[in-house]
Amino acid sequence: MLEVENLWVRYGTVEAVKGVSFTVSAGSIVSLIGANGAGKTTSLRALTGLVQPGAGELRFESTSLVGLAPHQIVSLGIAHVPEGRRLFPKMTVLENLTMGAYLRPRIDVASTLTMIYEHFPILKERGRQRAGSLSGGEQQMLAIARALMSRPKLLLLDEPSMGLSPIMTAEVGKVIRQINSLRVSIILVEQNAMLALTLAQYGYVLQTGQVVMQGKAEDLLRDEGVKKAYLGL
Amino acid sequence: MHRRLGVLLGLVVLAVLALLLPQFGGDYYVHIFALVFTNVILAASLRPSLTCGQLNIGHSAFMSIGAYTSALLAKNLAVPFEISLLGGALLATAVGWAIGYPSLRLRGVYFAMVTVAFVEVIRLIAQLWVPLTRGMSGLSGIPKPSVLGMTLSTRTGQYYLALVLMLATLLVLWKLEHSRLGLIWRSIGMADHLAQSLGVNIARHKLLAFMLGCFFAGIAGGFYAHFIRFLFPPEFGFLMATNILVYNYVGGRGHFVGPIVGAVFLSLLSEPFRGSPYETIFFSIAMLLTILFLPGGLITLPRKLAELRWWRTASAPTPSPAA
Repeated sequence: MLEVENLWVRYGTVEAVKGVSFTVSAGSIVSLIGANGAGKTTSLRALTGLVQPGAGELRFESTSLVGLAPHQIVSLGIAHVPEGRRLFPKMTVLENLTMGAYLRPRIDVASTLTMIYEHFPILKERGRQRAGSLSGGEQQMLAIARALMSRPKLLLLDEPSMGLSPIMTAEVGKVIRQINSLRVSIILVEQNAMLALTLAQYGYVLQTGQVVMQGKAEDLLRDEGVKKAYLGL
Repeated sequence: MHRRLGVLLGLVVLAVLALLLPQFGGDYYVHIFALVFTNVILAASLRPSLTCGQLNIGHSAFMSIGAYTSALLAKNLAVPFEISLLGGALLATAVGWAIGYPSLRLRGVYFAMVTVAFVEVIRLIAQLWVPLTRGMSGLSGIPKPSVLGMTLSTRTGQYYLALVLMLATLLVLWKLEHSRLGLIWRSIGMADHLAQSLGVNIARHKLLAFMLGCFFAGIAGGFYAHFIRFLFPPEFGFLMATNILVYNYVGGRGHFVGPIVGAVFLSLLSEPFRGSPYETIFFSIAMLLTILFLPGGLITLPRKLAELRWWRTASAPTPSPAA
């Protein structure tokens, strides 16, 4: 459903992504792993139109994404959960969720919200609370839930485990599985390679802007090089 | 529920006071309050742009466009007031589009600089285009406002016109702020990249908020022109632009009533200094005091006082049980 071919992105004179290619088939979880500065986040930002690729082709369900504005890409069915500060901290939980459904007609926002509350009951409880007052894990859940409000076909998750306790990380993992079971494809970018590879079916290892290894997630988990460099085993 | 009732009661009292003012106020207060209402329109209409995170110090230029356009249409072409007022506001909006479209991509202080420069450009045009605007001699002989062919020749009639214009403006702005649009403006002001990644076309919404402000600044200008009936280019300069901004900050940025409170409070308090060099000093001091002691603006004053009282009682010595 998504094909990235020979993607190059440069910030000024720094080449952040140098000819990365990967594919995501419908209904799967694909993870991009690698250290800081490997080009994972930049690849996602190119997919969402937040940076323009210098060269390469990005195709989503046979539509080219190159040159499209972020809002056009969202309307095709790609939702992005960015890393770092992911929420509108001074808005309520409900307002954050409403923002996620920005491009949807008002009528089916209500039904999507019901669906979201089934999967994230805590967000219903906290509906009128400020997003900034939630715990780290709850904030991450809200960020994911907000992305789901646009009913995406493909969800891009950037470091969902960052700054979370092991228990919360496991919780996030469970949610990612649940979302995937709703036929939403997922690209998972992680430094926590263990989490990423146990969730994903297929993985790509990035290093200084290039794909240095790829394969089925279980094979990567068993690979000596990956074990040593990314799993700390 | 009690809170709701209190707000409603407060609004009713304010409405009665506003309606009765001409009865016991006399012409002086009627005149002052008509100008206060104009300032409220200016301050409140700057809010959408500020909510989007755009520091707009050019509002007086759009007021100037509205004022001169409406005045010249009425004076030279005998256009009825309603239409000349709307014409001025629409021209201000159109110019707002032309200025906003290229410059809203700039952020923070860079955008502010464009708006400041624009104030000077408009002032110079009004000053130098003598055949049309009379330049520094000032434009006089502007007809009084009229509604449906009836000229509002008394100060009281004009006061009620200002009141209606202000209430209509506030109603529209309040509705918009509490709609989906208001949520989008806040999202852009809080985290524009995030809003963008959710699919918000931020350039379009910033432009819309900006043009909305220009429209109502044009309305305020149009009313002002037919009320004072004399226009002088330096009036709509940098000082007035910053004053409009100061109304917003001193009143408070956190709530819709902030700019309204700020505009009423500061316009009345600065009345003795109007037009004198002390006006600048007054507004500077007001701004500084706000930054130092009430960063949330006047609207946070009640909460601040409550906190202070709580703190006093908590720290007061408690009587010992033996006493």
